[in-house]
Amino acid sequence: MASEDEWNLLVIVMDVNPIWWGQQAQREPEFTLSKCLDAVMVMGNSHMAMTRTNKLAIIASHCQDSHFLYPSKNWTAGDGAGDGAMDEAPNCGDGKYELLSVANNVVAEEMKRVMSTTEVKGNSTDTLLAGSLAKALCYIHRLTKELEAGEEIKSRILVIKTAEDCARQYMNFMNVIFAAQKQNILIDACVLDSDSGLLQQACDITGGLYLKIPQKIALAQYLLWVFLPDSEQRSQLVLPPPVHVDYRAACFCHRNLIEIGYVCSVCLSIFCNFSPICTTCETAFKIQLPQMMKSKKKKLKQST
Amino acid sequence: MDEEPERAKRWEGGYERTWEVLKEDEFGSLKATVEEILFQTKRKRALESHGQVRLGMMRHLFVVIDSSRTMEDMDLKPNRLKATLKLMETFMEEYFDQNPISQVGLITTKNKRAEKLTDLAGNPKKHIAALKKARDAACVGEPSLFNALSLAIQTLKHMPGHTSREIVIIFSSLTTCDPSNIYELIKSLKALKIRVSVIGLSAEVRVCTVLTRETGGTYHVCLDESHFKELLMFHVKPPPANTQSECSLIRMGFPQHTIASVCDQDSKPSFSMSHLDSGSEVGLSLGGYFCPQCHAKHTELPVECKICGLTLVSAPHLARSFHHLFPLEPFRETPLEQHPAHRFCHACQGQLKDKVVFTCPLCSGVFCTECDLFIHDSLHCCPSCINTQLSH
Repeated sequence: MASEDEWNLLVIVMDVNPIWWGQQAQREPEFTLSKCLDAVMVMGNSHMAMTRTNKLAIIASHCQDSHFLYPSKNWTAGDGAGDGAMDEAPNCGDGKYELLSVANNVVAEEMKRVMSTTEVKGNSTDTLLAGSLAKALCYIHRLTKELEAGEEIKSRILVIKTAEDCARQYMNFMNVIFAAQKQNILIDACVLDSDSGLLQQACDITGGLYLKIPQKIALAQYLLWVFLPDSEQRSQLVLPPPVHVDYRAACFCHRNLIEIGYVCSVCLSIFCNFSPICTTCETAFKIQLPQMMKSKKKKLKQST
Repeated sequence: MDEEPERAKRWEGGYERTWEVLKEDEFGSLKATVEEILFQTKRKRALESHGQVRLGMMRHLFVVIDSSRTMEDMDLKPNRLKATLKLMETFMEEYFDQNPISQVGLITTKNKRAEKLTDLAGNPKKHIAALKKARDAACVGEPSLFNALSLAIQTLKHMPGHTSREIVIIFSSLTTCDPSNIYELIKSLKALKIRVSVIGLSAEVRVCTVLTRETGGTYHVCLDESHFKELLMFHVKPPPANTQSECSLIRMGFPQHTIASVCDQDSKPSFSMSHLDSGSEVGLSLGGYFCPQCHAKHTELPVECKICGLTLVSAPHLARSFHHLFPLEPFRETPLEQHPAHRFCHACQGQLKDKVVFTCPLCSGVFCTECDLFIHDSLHCCPSCINTQLSH
């Protein structure tokens, strides 16, 4: 049991890529974005109901921006700048713990607002996952600074991913992963559709769990079973085994995975074959020539 | 050797009215002003980024720790030696975090001799174990700069040309006992392109000034423990590379990590190469990293394969150094009144309460002071730049 002074923060990052969810609604009408949100809310409510000192934050990751669904800025400001909806008493009538019903209402409102107001501009159809993770880390950092003396906080991030990886975000993603590892923040991943190499690396480096769900309809079940316990309790449970992560590097010229490669000492780009010039930083390399052996001068025997 | 004019000493300059910089707040306390001065120096140091300069990514660094009689002085608690060793442990962890493909070695000098504590290696655990053991060592005699430097040179001169060779000396004594002319040694250091930096604990010593000036290193004398830590952490960042250092393609291997379990049919237990060094480790294990060239097993990366000599790394290790190559630009400081529309920080969603806010020059995102420090120290990427897809 956690002591009273130890706060447990769970940040859920949801991938709400409208293109993927639109296609999903046509493929499998039983599992839509609202069903997914229901499952996430079940998970969030369970987390907050476990101990009084558990905290929750939910971020929606879109193609254009990342929004904090909960806690919402309009709600915490409390000066009526937001909608009038929050003024009415959040009374569901079924005797639910008030914090949970408020959270549910806020999340539903914010999600509706996000999906209706954000447009997809240009060619950007990839989810900005690295940006949401960066914002989550800053939020965790702020909460850690705001603690009073004697209080501790343990945080973890749960990523629910739907669309595919965006290769352009590789460097930002790696920066975020290393920052999370330094702050001892776990990153768990729950993948609905296709395997994501970036998230596999993130979970392996930070010590979290990676799971690809076979049946999307049972999302709530998987979330509660695998991702609800925190890191101390996980050692006592039988959880899905860790996946084999492919840490081989991809060469810059062909994008093949290689086992032995050549690394430029200036810009650290990886090549599969030796070439005299690095294509990234255009440095000319010194080629090791075999050493010239001086021919030994034979001593002329003096003929007597 | 003395053609460069040395900068004037402090007592030779005019009067500085240092008391006018400090201002008291309404309770008569100076704490706020002192904190602000420290904050400004920290930001100035962070802003001194090198920009488009080639950096030495693969570093071979020797740290020379003075263990002479003066290290038993108690001006750093509990005594200078123990404080130095504790800070060195933190330095080791930070160093391998920022430079995963580099190597460090430790040398101590006392009793007019120099001794190698640990050889050049890429694994921090060995160094930290050696540092812990060195806490009980006695501090006797005088240090010898010449012997320490020549011991370091013996290993560094065989290192390949594309790596940066560095020596950092933590020097507390005011004397050094050398068997031969140290100026000749300084010339050979310069010829071998070894950069020597010194952190002094007592006072400025002229031979150290000449040594660092000729080899292109830095020389600072620490004021107190936090200043000492700052000076030490300054050496964690990769230095600008020497203009004459060679650039070459280094052959490296990227082994796969096999996690085999007992119920796997094909998995066979095997010894790993790391047990050759320390006999106390458990010998047989199932999973590990197999060298792609000779299939020898190793337990952790990065390492140089003992059988075939191939450097083994994993792709995240190289990725850790990328933020040095593409550094984040420092944010602009603006007063809060210029941003009436923004009440919340873009990154942490907290209310903007400070008098100054920081804006990213590329995407105009507004951040609070805490987020600015966090972004530049740990994250190395701007959250709103990623979201507006300006950076790739």
